Amino acid sequence: MVPTRAPELTAPADLPYSFYSQPRSLGSRPKYREQSNAAEKEKGPVHYCNIMIDPRVVRGNVLSVRHPPQSTEPSTLEVKRQRRAQKQGLARRLTQEQIRTGTPEPVEGREHVYVQTELYLEEISDRVIEVDGECQTDEFLDRPPTPLFIPAKTGKDVATQIEEGELFDFDIEVKPILEVLVGKTVEQALLEVMEEEELAQLWSHQRAFAELRNAEFAELQRLEEQDRRIREEKERRRLEHLEKLRKQKETAEKIAARAFAQRYLADLIPSVFNNLHESGFFYDPIERDIETEFLPWLMSEVEETLQKKVLGRMMLDSLIRMVVEKRLDEFSRPPPSDQTEVPAEEPRETGAASLVSDEADAADQPVEEKEETDQPVDED
Amino acid sequence: MATPRISAYLPPDVDPTKAALAFGRRALPKLNEELQAPELLTQQRALMALCDLVHDPEKVYQAIALGFLDSLKTLLVHQDQTVRQKTTEVLSVMALHSIGREGLIRSGVISALTGLLDDPVDICRKNTHQIFDMLAKLPEGAGGVLRAGLIPPLVLKLRTELEEIQELILETLSNCLRVEVSEALAAGAITVLKEKLSHPSAAIRSKAAWVLLEISSHAEGKIAVCKEELIPALLSLLEDTEPEVQVSSAGALMFAIVTPQGRSSAMGAEAIPPLLSLVAEETSKARLNAIKTLTLLAELPEGRQALLDHRDTFQRWLDDPSEAVQRAAEIAIAVIDWKP
Repeated sequence: MVPTRAPELTAPADLPYSFYSQPRSLGSRPKYREQSNAAEKEKGPVHYCNIMIDPRVVRGNVLSVRHPPQSTEPSTLEVKRQRRAQKQGLARRLTQEQIRTGTPEPVEGREHVYVQTELYLEEISDRVIEVDGECQTDEFLDRPPTPLFIPAKTGKDVATQIEEGELFDFDIEVKPILEVLVGKTVEQALLEVMEEEELAQLWSHQRAFAELRNAEFAELQRLEEQDRRIREEKERRRLEHLEKLRKQKETAEKIAARAFAQRYLADLIPSVFNNLHESGFFYDPIERDIETEFLPWLMSEVEETLQKKVLGRMMLDSLIRMVVEKRLDEFSRPPPSDQTEVPAEEPRETGAASLVSDEADAADQPVEEKEETDQPVDED
Repeated sequence: MATPRISAYLPPDVDPTKAALAFGRRALPKLNEELQAPELLTQQRALMALCDLVHDPEKVYQAIALGFLDSLKTLLVHQDQTVRQKTTEVLSVMALHSIGREGLIRSGVISALTGLLDDPVDICRKNTHQIFDMLAKLPEGAGGVLRAGLIPPLVLKLRTELEEIQELILETLSNCLRVEVSEALAAGAITVLKEKLSHPSAAIRSKAAWVLLEISSHAEGKIAVCKEELIPALLSLLEDTEPEVQVSSAGALMFAIVTPQGRSSAMGAEAIPPLLSLVAEETSKARLNAIKTLTLLAELPEGRQALLDHRDTFQRWLDDPSEAVQRAAEIAIAVIDWKP
């Protein structure tokens, strides 16, 4: 029976499928229904189920009669069809049972007994016959040595002999082996030699360069040395020249200074002599002698004489004073009258003056001069 | 079945003393891990395998990029002598490549190697000196050796070491002293070199003369050379049978007589005849140096007088195939003909 549904949903005639739904691969059914909500929320990757273990996939013989799986809400048509099928099956079974009859009922007085009719009778019981048995291994013994295994001779004995040159030619066969061996050895040796050669080449190159460099360097040093010597020589000559100039200048200055000094000091000597003469360094010794010795002695003698004179005068003065005082005392005791005193004083004064003038006559001229000078001094 | 075609791969390596190499790019990292392993045998086998790998420049580049040099530096002070020997061998093969040299200088291997100068094993010392020699050929390497303060120990070692190692030391010194010479002079290098000038081996003589050349290219070196009276010794070497020795000693003289004292001592020691004989030979490599030396001597009045007679010798060299010799000959003739 090909289930046909709404014809408009069937596939068009050109497509090979004519089922209700287009073929699609099924996703795996979740094991627990509560998870379905979570799966919807997560929208995880779609897992396709394994169709071999999916219970929804029908397996088995494709040619056998197969009932479609019971759907949850079968329609009335489906229910009817199922019931009809069940009834038909039951009827078929009943008819088949009726066709095959069983053993007839036993005759009166007889009993049916089950009997074994095989060759050997066996006791049939529910209980199985059991027998207990036991065994025990012997004590451990050492494993005996394995006997020499000589396989049995099988087959036929055949002998053969290989003559020289039959199997292979050694010289030809060994060539490639030798080539490899020798080649490898030589290759390795060449590598090492090349390494050393490379290095030797580098060093010789470097050595040549070093030589050139040294030669140039020596040249450089030689030129440097030359340059240094020339410069030193120049410097020395320059210094010499400067020295010469300096000396020349010095000499010229010296000459000029000498000439000037000579001229300046030309009249030095006469003027010096003049000054000395004026200041009295050139003296007449006799004159000097008289001046230095004679005159001071003279002056001292004069001074002595004068002092004597002065002494005498002082004595005289004191005498006069004494006399006058005595007279004053004498005259002052009984004061007769003022007139006698006054004329007594006047004659006294005149008497003093006449005494003094008498004394003066005896002195020399210069002494009088001196006395005159004394008197005004006294009066003053 | 063996075929006559040679395969592109090396023959299978079944040496039991070498560690098994991982495939492709994993080989070197695995070796690096094995080098740091605590067992001695693992380290030794890894070093043996590394020695073979390091001949390839690409492997050297990869090794340096992976930081092999740090693990190798720690192995330099290992107690086992095989480890030390193989480590120094690896480093010396690395130093043969330019990348290796740069990497060694950058990672300061030079200072790590100073401790190995007194190693009891000969091969370790020889490899160490080979490394120094290779590195000193680069200017940065020479600077590195100088900065590590290696010159005084090297000068001391020159007296006591084996001959092969002495040659290596002399080469190292010649490259380093090109840069700076004061340390070597302070360590008394000139006295040691004077002894080496009369060594029976020709290689040592020529190398010692080359070191003197480098020393006297500096000003203080020239003064020291004149003071120690090396000029007569160098003059005697000019008549040596080996051409290498002649070249080096002519070069050393060339630099040493730039100073006036040097020149006068050279004239006093009768330098002109042997130099002229050197110049006269056609195939001598020392021609260039000898011509330059004679140029220097010609600046002295006595020298000029003596060389005026030999002017035609210099004329011949104006057609020399080597351009440098031509130039030198021109300059020499100009100096000889100069009139004050």
